[in-house]
Amino acid sequence: MSDLALTPGVKDMFVERGRLFFGGTLGRVSARIGILAVLLAAWQYLPGPGMRFWASDPLSIVSALVGWIVDGTLWRQLLATLTVMSTSYALGCAIGVSVGLAFGLLPRLDKVMSPFIFAAYALPKIALAPLLIILFGIGVVSKIVLVTLVVFFLVFSSTIDGIRDTDPDLVRALRLMGASRFELIRKVLIPAALPWIFTSMRIAVRYAFSNTLLAELIASNSGIGYLIAYHSGIYDAAGTYAAVLILVILSVALTEVLTRVEKAMSRWRA
Amino acid sequence: MPPNSDATMDAAPKIQLIGASRDFEARGRRVQALQPVDLSIQPAEFVALVGPSGCGKSTILNMVAGLLGPTLGRVTYDGASVTGLNRRVGYMTQKDTLLPWRTVEANIRIALELKCRPTSRTDATAKVAQMIELVGLKGFEHHYPNELSGGMRKRVALARTLIYEPETLLMDEPFAALDAQLRLVMLDQLQFLTRLRKMTVLFVTHDLGEAITLADRVVVMSARPGRIRTIRNVPIERPLDVFKARFSAAFGRLHEELWDELKDEVTKGTDL
Repeated sequence: MSDLALTPGVKDMFVERGRLFFGGTLGRVSARIGILAVLLAAWQYLPGPGMRFWASDPLSIVSALVGWIVDGTLWRQLLATLTVMSTSYALGCAIGVSVGLAFGLLPRLDKVMSPFIFAAYALPKIALAPLLIILFGIGVVSKIVLVTLVVFFLVFSSTIDGIRDTDPDLVRALRLMGASRFELIRKVLIPAALPWIFTSMRIAVRYAFSNTLLAELIASNSGIGYLIAYHSGIYDAAGTYAAVLILVILSVALTEVLTRVEKAMSRWRA
Repeated sequence: MPPNSDATMDAAPKIQLIGASRDFEARGRRVQALQPVDLSIQPAEFVALVGPSGCGKSTILNMVAGLLGPTLGRVTYDGASVTGLNRRVGYMTQKDTLLPWRTVEANIRIALELKCRPTSRTDATAKVAQMIELVGLKGFEHHYPNELSGGMRKRVALARTLIYEPETLLMDEPFAALDAQLRLVMLDQLQFLTRLRKMTVLFVTHDLGEAITLADRVVVMSARPGRIRTIRNVPIERPLDVFKARFSAAFGRLHEELWDELKDEVTKGTDL
């Protein structure tokens, strides 16, 4: 306590210098580059010849990646994954919101159907992958069906919850003003459910992404997941790492886009 | 619905409670919130309900609005029993039921967007602007409810209710959250508007001064189980100046008289 009090100037100087370096963007970035360089160098030069077989090394990974860029494999597989993902996402959201609204607004339908829905909801959908492959083959269709199901159930159940969660006082207030049933739905129930729907759609992006990859890993003939499964299947460590690296870049990009969209959309909930 | 006729002293009451009582079930126990109450309210009359917490003031409003049915007795509106929601009343509840996804402007406009009240866009915009001015929210038109203080939200709720000029207004402590000066301004506006449009008003408040300032009759209610303790006419010339009314002799006398009635009830309520 006392030496701190005696030497505030000296302490501040160190703190200040530290903040200038690590606090500044330049300092932070160069620290990161340094850490990365050390790790990569260790990976490149430390493993012995025996270990190299599974561990691969950064240079081989980069050359595998460059090879895919040159021969078009990268774009083809990336496109395959993104197509499955976005098609299923759009389908799942559209069907999920519309069926969810129907169930939410028609409580009787909901009551009759809820045991079935619950059973289907509780099942981890990825367990259906082998079945769907028997039904729709190893190609894109089985993946789209699977991921659509995953997205559907997420969005569907949130839509119902959102409508159920509507403050009954808001509904009552509008009814006292003379709102018809249709006006209640349009002016209260749907807007009240929207944050729920958007939240589920945001989460569904990640689910669509991971389930697309899982489905591709299980059995497929295209996509980044396929690239990983194929190269690990032939014990090509460099190729496997390269495919995983693509995945890392893809997920970071996805997260970045999502964060920006959310920021733009959430003013009244702040 | 035709607006109120000029026949202010119509013999037929607008609102009538006939032996209306209400029980509530709480954890398996039946509690009587309101003992049988008889009360008639004439068209264009302004009636204030005062009393301690839990004396059934809000229960009476809820029954007139049709949100609650009486356990015993009857509640009538224009001579007919209230069954289901009473859409001829504008109800400003204690809780402001603003739509959180709508701006101040859009919240106030909502009643005019309904099919039952066809209003052209330009008319609606003009009326909304006028209401915003009235409740002193100019500059906040595009704010969302979560960006406003409690008092401001109350004012939005008030504007939203007044804008469609319901023939009857039910108000549950609408100004409790406002500061003293603003409250007087709002009382003045409310008095002006309700008398101009000949609205029937049932107004719940804790504040005796507020009740005497606004009401033609003041109903003092007693603590749990609620019942009517006394009803007094307010013999003060209307319209009055809300800013000065408090200092008149008649006001003082009535305030004292009613406070004597209310005092026992308030102290009774405290040992709950």
